[in-house]
Amino acid sequence: MSDAGWVVGVDIGGTFTDVVVAGPDGTLAIEKVPTTPEDPGIGVVDGVARALSHAAVPPAAVSRVVHGTTLATNVVLERRGGPVALITTDGFADLLRLGRQARVEDDRYDLLYTPEPPPVDATLTFEVAERVDARGAVLVPLTDDGVRGGVDRGVAGAPRGVAVCFLHSYANPGHERTVAAACQAALPDAFVVASCDVWPEIREYERAMTTVVCALVGPVMAGYLQALEQRLAAIGVRAPVEVMESSGGVMSAAAAAQRPVCTVESGGAAGVLAAGLIGRAIGAQDVISFDMGGTTAKTGIVTDGAPRLAHDFQVGGKGSFGATRAGTGVPVKTPVVDLAEVGAGGGSLAWLDAGGALRVGPRSAGAVPGPACYARGGREPTVTDANLVLGYLDPDGLAGGVTLSVSGATAALDTVGGPLGLDAGQAALAIHEIANANMAAAIRMVTVQRGIDPRDFTLVGFGGAGPLHVARLAAMFAIRTVVVPWGAGVASAIGLIGSDPTVEVVQTRLLALDATHDGTIRALFHELETRARVELGASEDPDVVVTRAVDVRYRGQAHELTVVVPADVLDADVATGLATTFYVEYERVNGIRSSAPAELVSARVRAVRPVSTPDGAPQRTEPDRRVTPVTERLVRFPDGDGPTVTPVIAWTSLPSGARVVGPALVAGSDTTVVVPPGCPAELDVGRNLVLSPEPTTFTAVR
Amino acid sequence: MRSDPINTLDDAITGEVIRNGVAVAVEEASVVVVRSAHSTFIQEGADACAGLLDAECRLVAESASTSLMHATSLRCSLPSLLEDVPLAAMDPGDVFALNDPYRGGIHANDILVFRPIFAEGRVAFVAGTLVHVADVGGIAAGGLAALATDTFSEGLLLPPVRLVRRGESVHDLYAIIGRNSRVPDKVLGDVEALVAGVNVINGRVEELLTRYGADELGRFVDASIEAAERRMRAELAQLPAGTYHGGFTIDGDGVEPDRTFDVRVAVTCADGGVHVDFAGTAAQARGAINSSRSQTLSGVVYGIRCFVDPTIPMNEGSLTPITVTLPAGSLVNPDPPAACGGRVVTVAAAVEAILEALAHARPDRATAASGLIHVYTISGAGPGAPWLNLFYEFGGIGARVGADGPDATGCFFLGGRSVIPQVEPIEAAYPLVVRAARLRPDSGGPGTWRGGLGVETVLELLEDATVTVRGDRMTLPPPGLDGGAPGGAGQFAVVRRDGHEQLLAPKQADVAIAAGEHLVVRTSGGGGLGVPERRDAESVFADVAAGRITAAAATQDYAVVFDGRGRLDRAATESLRRGRTDSVPSPRPR
Repeated sequence: MSDAGWVVGVDIGGTFTDVVVAGPDGTLAIEKVPTTPEDPGIGVVDGVARALSHAAVPPAAVSRVVHGTTLATNVVLERRGGPVALITTDGFADLLRLGRQARVEDDRYDLLYTPEPPPVDATLTFEVAERVDARGAVLVPLTDDGVRGGVDRGVAGAPRGVAVCFLHSYANPGHERTVAAACQAALPDAFVVASCDVWPEIREYERAMTTVVCALVGPVMAGYLQALEQRLAAIGVRAPVEVMESSGGVMSAAAAAQRPVCTVESGGAAGVLAAGLIGRAIGAQDVISFDMGGTTAKTGIVTDGAPRLAHDFQVGGKGSFGATRAGTGVPVKTPVVDLAEVGAGGGSLAWLDAGGALRVGPRSAGAVPGPACYARGGREPTVTDANLVLGYLDPDGLAGGVTLSVSGATAALDTVGGPLGLDAGQAALAIHEIANANMAAAIRMVTVQRGIDPRDFTLVGFGGAGPLHVARLAAMFAIRTVVVPWGAGVASAIGLIGSDPTVEVVQTRLLALDATHDGTIRALFHELETRARVELGASEDPDVVVTRAVDVRYRGQAHELTVVVPADVLDADVATGLATTFYVEYERVNGIRSSAPAELVSARVRAVRPVSTPDGAPQRTEPDRRVTPVTERLVRFPDGDGPTVTPVIAWTSLPSGARVVGPALVAGSDTTVVVPPGCPAELDVGRNLVLSPEPTTFTAVR
Repeated sequence: MRSDPINTLDDAITGEVIRNGVAVAVEEASVVVVRSAHSTFIQEGADACAGLLDAECRLVAESASTSLMHATSLRCSLPSLLEDVPLAAMDPGDVFALNDPYRGGIHANDILVFRPIFAEGRVAFVAGTLVHVADVGGIAAGGLAALATDTFSEGLLLPPVRLVRRGESVHDLYAIIGRNSRVPDKVLGDVEALVAGVNVINGRVEELLTRYGADELGRFVDASIEAAERRMRAELAQLPAGTYHGGFTIDGDGVEPDRTFDVRVAVTCADGGVHVDFAGTAAQARGAINSSRSQTLSGVVYGIRCFVDPTIPMNEGSLTPITVTLPAGSLVNPDPPAACGGRVVTVAAAVEAILEALAHARPDRATAASGLIHVYTISGAGPGAPWLNLFYEFGGIGARVGADGPDATGCFFLGGRSVIPQVEPIEAAYPLVVRAARLRPDSGGPGTWRGGLGVETVLELLEDATVTVRGDRMTLPPPGLDGGAPGGAGQFAVVRRDGHEQLLAPKQADVAIAAGEHLVVRTSGGGGLGVPERRDAESVFADVAAGRITAAAATQDYAVVFDGRGRLDRAATESLRRGRTDSVPSPRPR
């Protein structure tokens, strides 16, 4: 770490709040405390205090606190925050009510289906007489009377937040800024945002929603972060709080309060970032992130060391096979790590559908009652119950000193196994494999469906349940390298401490990609870079890494494709270079080659100020070392002939370079790694376990 | 005890792995097909389909995120292919195409593609894909000719023909398709995407065949179809036995003046099956609103599935218990060469008729009728290049028992999506300015449960242009139910330079509109359900506050009275409502 201090990472999950404390020398201390949903800050401060105390680190030595939070998402999903007023162009007060809507899967047959109301009440939506066209020319000028009328009515509703979104404000922000300033003057305590300042990208529905989410979450986020900084100061931690944003960077508390919409996938981003960091540590640039927790499994992609991003995200969206479909949930346009999420976690319930087929998830036993083996009243079988009966989990030990009831798990498994004529062990194996099939669909979603061949990737498995399943999943895709990181149960929190301050900005500018526009395009990128650097507070910093992307489409096409701009393109014939890059990417994604005229829709610039600078050199393993198992258990594996006597090895007892060949179980403090029969596994110098599974005879990818 | 063969460990796992594998294969194929589509309308509306069928033409699996408009399209057209090209005449690597509405197709722009999947030298399965392609000729650019009177006006028709022979593209056919299109690159791109889609399914299913063998895979396909049929029959048996009647009247076909068209159904539930008889439905139209057999069946399947467990898989087992009688030469099963491009109107009418009929069996699922999709095209000659765009607005949804109808949205329409015409990209691309897009106050049919609102969109043309409109449920707006009133009728109109508003017919082609003039599109609201005076007065007040109904209509339609400061006057409301009770009919017993 370049900053000579301790860095604290805090990730709030549904059940546990994970805290990781990293020293300047790379020392790691880990703490898991219960999440306090009514006031998450209590759990955070409790966890930080304990972690520092256990690691014997003085609070004053902490130089950064990086926080992953689901606050923004929760505020949107629970319709908390607000009330928010929306001020828009005359004629378009129903902008949000007439927006994209979709029904998916079973909802399509529901005659009583009612779309979610938009987050702004119709009585708090106001029109102002003004109009700008797509080129930014004023068609209807904004008058003082118009401003006053809009502001007066807006103020009368006493909103806590105000979102201003006028048509084509990406092309001419003048009217929006005037009205926003007037609103702020009239409502000094309200949180006022203009869409041109939040995300100046074409398509008014999504831009307005993105702005509304800011206005809704801003005041809540500001209050939460302020209180958190005060509480941390009270225990002696005076470092500024930084917040993980949805695309894997971090932002200051002030920036997070100003643009909270950028944190909607804060938790998911941390996991993918962690996978990327682990990949970098072992010299792998292309990584699939597989994070399996209590209720869901999330998959994401890192290519060339950077998380793959999406620019169409729906908070609370729904869809098939882990994807979400436009028209469900609340759309936001700010960049988000590209994730697929399926309802397959340790707590996911197994059940028989009306046709008698065995299914797993998406319903979960949750923290209460939890899996049947927790003996807290759960009677339905979960994936964790299956993994216990298969022998993967130790009945005597789980994180937090919980003992697990094999008889409880067996009884629960019998409820689904009985009608199928399966004993508990068979039912357990079936549930384990069905969960794998569900998760394989999520891996396929972020790879094959994006035109990416997963066989060239390293699979990084983490989360409480991920290490139990990851080797088998890799085999299904013929992935040859699997990494289970040290601290796999809290890997997302580790991802937080490896993150760097980041700003992404966008600007829509509709231009034909021909040589006459080379100068305009270069100027546009220059303007965006300046804007990003200013927001980052790093105007002159030579270490800032700037990457660029463009949204391009064939002229006449309705939708554009986001393509990364190669660094050398800017120096030469930029328009031609961008068009060529687009043609290649379009053919890769859609399989269609055409060099018809292309047009630029938007430009994006992402600026990163590196502060974490982890060691980029691959950490090599040393020659084989002998390993002594602690104990043995009877374990069942898929494709096996029955229970196999399997050594159980303590992760902490393994020296670096240690090599084991499966069947084996490597037990860590918060997770267990299943090493399938015949699969070699080695411990690298970073104490990560690297597995090399053989592909199954049948693989999910050709 | 259970009769299906899933009774061992391997079976339990295999069954689920196969189910998942096949479902993911067809989903992935649909993604390949949809993402290459040439317009927002097709892409966002997912006017496409991907599926797997077996050698007996049974539907095994179908994509879940595509339009339900195509629920039975693949299923209905594969038999036509096999009539012309028997399985024994097919070779590995062959791919076939067709779009003839009289051979299981829909209309000229919907092309279906099939690829046989071989196991042990025989065809074991057939992969299929479908998408609404860019343009295949005909009298209207982009298809959907509003006033076509035969299929020859609607574009190039393909009987079942080889598109790819043993892995080699049949270039002659590609050349014919390209030459008959106004945008050959786009349409050939669409065809390539359809082929890529069936290839994806072929690859995935071959993997399953390698792993499990044709017999084993066949056994699980049988089991899943049988399980779906068992569930479907069990659900249908829950509906009280009997014959239920429903009907819906269509405005017209735009060609024969003053002729309306009835779609009538008698739905008989008995013995775990359901039969839908369209006897009494109007004879086929001269205009384009005819619905080919496969389209009518998709409507039937959708309507019935709204009354059973929605989680039943969409495969042959869920279709088998549904039987139909489609009178030959009628609107729902026309004789060639009747035009079919405007069939949406008739399919949607069939759905309304079935919903009405089955609501007699399940009164808790009664719904008033909804407004419809209003499709219109605006084109211009330039000064630069000629331009054309397909626009669409949606009507309000009918009220339900216990719930108001949602406002203008496409997400109730069979596709399940509201593809919204965002103003900014449209104005950036075409010479027009959208002056307003607003919900229409008072357009929701009054009722105890109010119909959803229609929308009014005003477009100002910046250049001279031509407009073609295709609407319905405008002269006969969506009726209410059980004392509820119909939704407000929609209109197409042109505001001329002198301010005069000229109304257009619901279906009218090639209306000239000059620069500076406005096109106004008003969609119909949904019908109301139950007597309006029984609507909770607070809900009426909230509707007024939200601008959904005007204060005047609140008093007139709902007998709700406000005081001088716009607050709800409960006493006056009660008194007015009491006064009206005598004249208010009781809800009709169902």
